Amino acid sequence: MELDAIPQPELEQIEQMGGADLVIGIVDLERRVEGGTAVAMTREALAELSQPLRAMVVCNNGTHGPGTAAPEADVDKPSLTVSSCGLPLPGPAETQQQTISNAYRRVFAVGHKLGVRACGVIATPPEAVTRKWVYQLVQPVVDLGFDLVAPCYTRQKMEGLLNRSMLSPLHRALYGERLENPMGPDFGLSGRLLQRILAQDSTRQRGGERSALASLASAAACGGFQVCESHLGVRTHSPVDWENLSSLLVDILGATFLEMEGRAAYWQNIRGSKALPKFGLPEPAVPDTGTVDVNRMIETFQLGTQNLQDVWGLILPPTTSLELRRLARLPRDQFCLPDQVWARIVYDFALGHRLRTINRDHLLRSMTPLYLGWIASYTMEMQAAGPAEVALRIERLSKAYEDNKSYLLSRWRWPDRFNP
Amino acid sequence: MWDEVGQTLKLSMTKMLSQLASLLPGIVALMTALFVAALVAWALSTMLRRSLAGFQFDRRVAQWGFPALAEWAPSSSPTLLVTRAIGWTIVFVGFLVGISAFDGALPSQFVRQLFAYLPDVMTAIVVLVAGSVAARFLARSVLIGAVNMNLQYARLLSVGVKWLVTVLAVTIAIERLRIGGGIIRLAFGILFGGIVLALALAVGLGSKELVSRSLEREASKTSGSHLKEPVGHL
Repeated sequence: MELDAIPQPELEQIEQMGGADLVIGIVDLERRVEGGTAVAMTREALAELSQPLRAMVVCNNGTHGPGTAAPEADVDKPSLTVSSCGLPLPGPAETQQQTISNAYRRVFAVGHKLGVRACGVIATPPEAVTRKWVYQLVQPVVDLGFDLVAPCYTRQKMEGLLNRSMLSPLHRALYGERLENPMGPDFGLSGRLLQRILAQDSTRQRGGERSALASLASAAACGGFQVCESHLGVRTHSPVDWENLSSLLVDILGATFLEMEGRAAYWQNIRGSKALPKFGLPEPAVPDTGTVDVNRMIETFQLGTQNLQDVWGLILPPTTSLELRRLARLPRDQFCLPDQVWARIVYDFALGHRLRTINRDHLLRSMTPLYLGWIASYTMEMQAAGPAEVALRIERLSKAYEDNKSYLLSRWRWPDRFNP
Repeated sequence: MWDEVGQTLKLSMTKMLSQLASLLPGIVALMTALFVAALVAWALSTMLRRSLAGFQFDRRVAQWGFPALAEWAPSSSPTLLVTRAIGWTIVFVGFLVGISAFDGALPSQFVRQLFAYLPDVMTAIVVLVAGSVAARFLARSVLIGAVNMNLQYARLLSVGVKWLVTVLAVTIAIERLRIGGGIIRLAFGILFGGIVLALALAVGLGSKELVSRSLEREASKTSGSHLKEPVGHL
């Protein structure tokens, strides 16, 4: 239980509160949110709900001011009470994903202690977050009885590429639910789901190694919980750090593949996928304004095919290796990574991760040139495309993941025998 | 006189035959030791071969990054290489045990020295294996990292790191075996220096690309002509 990491004054405050209906976690990676702001935003959002609630706002900015700690009764709705407490700052060695995952666990622990019936966690940088976000994440849980509310963001066509290329189609093919952002990072969830996740964590021997963020959507799908999506609006993101892209892949894909391995018994029986209810109105996307250097991505892909064949050869079947070599020789204007090949590459890497074919860190980092190859192919294809065409393109890719699930199943079940 | 000659010959014959007879127990002991060792070696090799086959050792060796081991091994099988190496080691130990059964100072001394040398041999083998594993792991790390950084000299860097660690491990092993002395240290110094120089050149040339790319990015930012890359991964 992550309560051990919460300072004593905050623990006492939580105990004094006794119980609450709702806990809101604000994961502030850049320490820019003040407790008072988060409380005010939550109070405004909760005022719009159909019923008055007692809420606790948990901020991981390390601050704990007496002004924000005291419960404050709302003037308009006297029964609406919002308290706040601060969580310790992330450790210096933690990556962004680890910080978010740890913050999630702490918010869950606070929610468990208070016996809440709903929980919302926001990990997006605070500039874009408004009271609407809190409302959209919590309202379907409190008023409509959903167990998990996943976010939908308004994005330009070159944003959320890891989600579009791997996380979302993989989640759809494995668990049969069409989620745009299976790894959030902003979620609303019910007390029931929260209890299930905490119970799973405590029964797992190595629960600490699994990412809380990666396990939310899959736990909801496997547990038969009601899942929906909410349109939150535009999500700001930090500038892309190309030099550390492989570390991001290790964090995100490592957690996803680990989750996939842990839930293999469930997803092997799933066929097809279903659309999920969506709430809120999508905001119109701002037109794309930048340019993307595709040449460098293709160069890295070609360098990978020249130098990483020894590594890829242990993970990918010969047909895929041949296809990659053929791609690397193509002129740049004809560069196109077919969806089927890409889906199979992701499946093969997931299998390699499971079998520990090579060191897992090496395996995930060696995927970087392939991912850059996919981005280059997608960028060139979508250069003049509008939002509708982008959506169609991603739908086509997701279908390829679904269609090739039988390939994954065969390789997963008989990794030695089935090697096309 | 002929009687004396005959007597002397008889005496020498008796002496030689008695000496030969005194060797017989040693020979029998050697044969027995060899026979028992061969039996143990055969039994152990068979068991080990079966266990390794069940463990899919050949495939795993390739996965661990030792595909070259298969080239050295009989029938391209690392399992056979390991089982035969262990079998012959047991036979050799049996031979040494048999030799020590001879009642003589020279064989006993030889065996004592050989047994005293065995820990050094074992240490050298452990150092070589550990060095080889570390070399391959580091070489792969460097190769993947350099490719991801789009360095054209990725392969050279990786090979350099691999040889650096291998040369270090081999030198430690040879030093442990007390072979070569000063020549080994000198050769190690020259080789190590050469590899470090080659790596420094490769890093320098690779960094040139990195630095120029970074400068280009900075220049385009300050000149205002740079449009923000609208890429986001999550």
